[in-house]
Amino acid sequence: MALCFSARTVYSDIRHNFLPHYLLAAAIVVITPLFFSVSELDSRQAAQPLEMIISLTGTVLLTPVFMPEQNESIRDLIRSKKAPYLLTCMIRLLIGLLLLAVLTGISVLYMKKCHSQVTFRHFTGTAASAMALGSIGFFTAGVSNNVIIGYMASLLCYILNFIARDKLSIFFIFSMMNGSYDEKKWIFVLSFALILSVFMYFKLIRKY
Amino acid sequence: MMLFIRECKKIFHSLTFIIYFAAVILMFFTQFWPAMDEPVTSSTIDSYELAKISGEPETIMPKALDSLTGCYFSNTYRCYPYGLFKAVHLNSRDNDKIRDCITEMSSLNADELEELKAASSISHVKVGTNELESYNVKGVPLSEDITYERFREIMGEVDDILGGGSDYRPDDLAYKFSQEPMTHEEILEQYDEFMEKDHIAIAYGRLFSDYLGIILAVIPVFVAAALVTADKRTKMNELIYSRRISSFRLVFTRFAALVLTMVIPVLLCGAIASARIMYMYKGSTPDIAGAFEVSGKWLLPDIMLAAAMGMFISELFSAGMAILVQFAAWFMCMMMTSMPLYGHIGRFTFICRHNSLFYRSEFMKHYSDFIFSRIFYTAAALAAVLLTVFVYELKRGGKFNGIMFFGKDSIFRHKT
Repeated sequence: MALCFSARTVYSDIRHNFLPHYLLAAAIVVITPLFFSVSELDSRQAAQPLEMIISLTGTVLLTPVFMPEQNESIRDLIRSKKAPYLLTCMIRLLIGLLLLAVLTGISVLYMKKCHSQVTFRHFTGTAASAMALGSIGFFTAGVSNNVIIGYMASLLCYILNFIARDKLSIFFIFSMMNGSYDEKKWIFVLSFALILSVFMYFKLIRKY
Repeated sequence: MMLFIRECKKIFHSLTFIIYFAAVILMFFTQFWPAMDEPVTSSTIDSYELAKISGEPETIMPKALDSLTGCYFSNTYRCYPYGLFKAVHLNSRDNDKIRDCITEMSSLNADELEELKAASSISHVKVGTNELESYNVKGVPLSEDITYERFREIMGEVDDILGGGSDYRPDDLAYKFSQEPMTHEEILEQYDEFMEKDHIAIAYGRLFSDYLGIILAVIPVFVAAALVTADKRTKMNELIYSRRISSFRLVFTRFAALVLTMVIPVLLCGAIASARIMYMYKGSTPDIAGAFEVSGKWLLPDIMLAAAMGMFISELFSAGMAILVQFAAWFMCMMMTSMPLYGHIGRFTFICRHNSLFYRSEFMKHYSDFIFSRIFYTAAALAAVLLTVFVYELKRGGKFNGIMFFGKDSIFRHKT
């Protein structure tokens, strides 16, 4: 029964709400090699397109999880249904994370095929950066009930990393470009904390 | 006027504006404020390690030709087409074109080039994952007939063959091949310009605009998109559509409210910076009005265009599309910014950079282009607002409901 519900949710969401986002995330992965070199790069150079471009898939995939119910009346209607609203959001989030991992994996494998020096660390590091950007968007969109604010927070975080670079210490999402991987575990922890706190906020404060 | 005040209040109370406000303040204090740690004096100016770009053809041409010849021998060219590294290896046909360019610029023919290659010493450099042969080429004789204008033209062709972003891009030749440290006398000249011509504050005004311009070229789009879509979110669309107010007046009032509110945090930062400058340079008379003038000319078109694009694309497509387009434009502008971060303002430069308190003469060299770009983007912003009026009017008349790529109103959906 639960499986059936999940399958229906996934199908309906993809069809009506999230297809543009999934296509945009895939487009980012496809156009990256057209604009930026991905061949014969050493470890640090390979981290540049991965962290600076592929990580944006996180913003595209995770930020709009709450988008379909931004309108209060639609949300009230959804809440009146038997299926738990937060479970629906969780399924959307998991699909987003899965796609994020798949797209990052495809990028890393493609770079490996093009003789770039990429390892499993590049995969996890890029996924962590993408997840960080996505979870910031997910958190702010959830708490503010406005997806535009989610995008704004996520992209501002990206811009801040772009400008301030290594001044951000353990929260620097482009650290692999500087040859450092230590920041990634903190970014992972931060991402999980943000995702968890949104669900806690909905459950405990908004009583969903 | 009432409508204008109401729109301003609406923006002030929106979360997007609060985040915008915080982002401007954050940018100001983290990026610009450290430049005001201590005043610039004739005794401290040496610590700025200023470099000069002589731009003399006699310096540029031999160095650039030696570099290109070395790259031709190894068939490896370093390029940064969109700010990121790209090692370019040409096929034999394109590499032959490079050879033809070299033979035209030098007095060597193809056979003599091969002899030079055989005689050149080889070192190994790491380029990406590869360890490549690098030819140490020095003293390739320049053709006696070549002029600097023709030299730049040929280098432009070389850059085109390499796909752009190479060291040989004509506009970058001077920076790449004629950069050297300034002498003490030249540094003191920079100090004199800072004190006498920029009257201290104008130099700070340029640096202030350089930093804030980075974010003001993109974040106003969020505030504008949120304002436009707020009507839809609160289901006030139909109610507003039925009012007597003209679309022109409504859209332009909203645009004016957006621009005015978004200028306020910039003015606040400017006021804080001015107070700090006056405190640091007690006894001098910094030209504060001049600083506000340069910042106004610099930043206002950025805010106007980003806000106008946010309004127009949100009305035509959606807020998400507006954010995507403006962010992509911002990203490409940032990635394609040439080094050094001064003296590169062109007629269509959207994000102008001048990341220094000095080099006034480099800025003034491109001043007419700077003014042109600011007028151009102001006009573009006003044109975008006029288009928004047109789209809004169509929506009010029920003739148009925005362009959708997905969903039941998709333009791809067959309607019977």
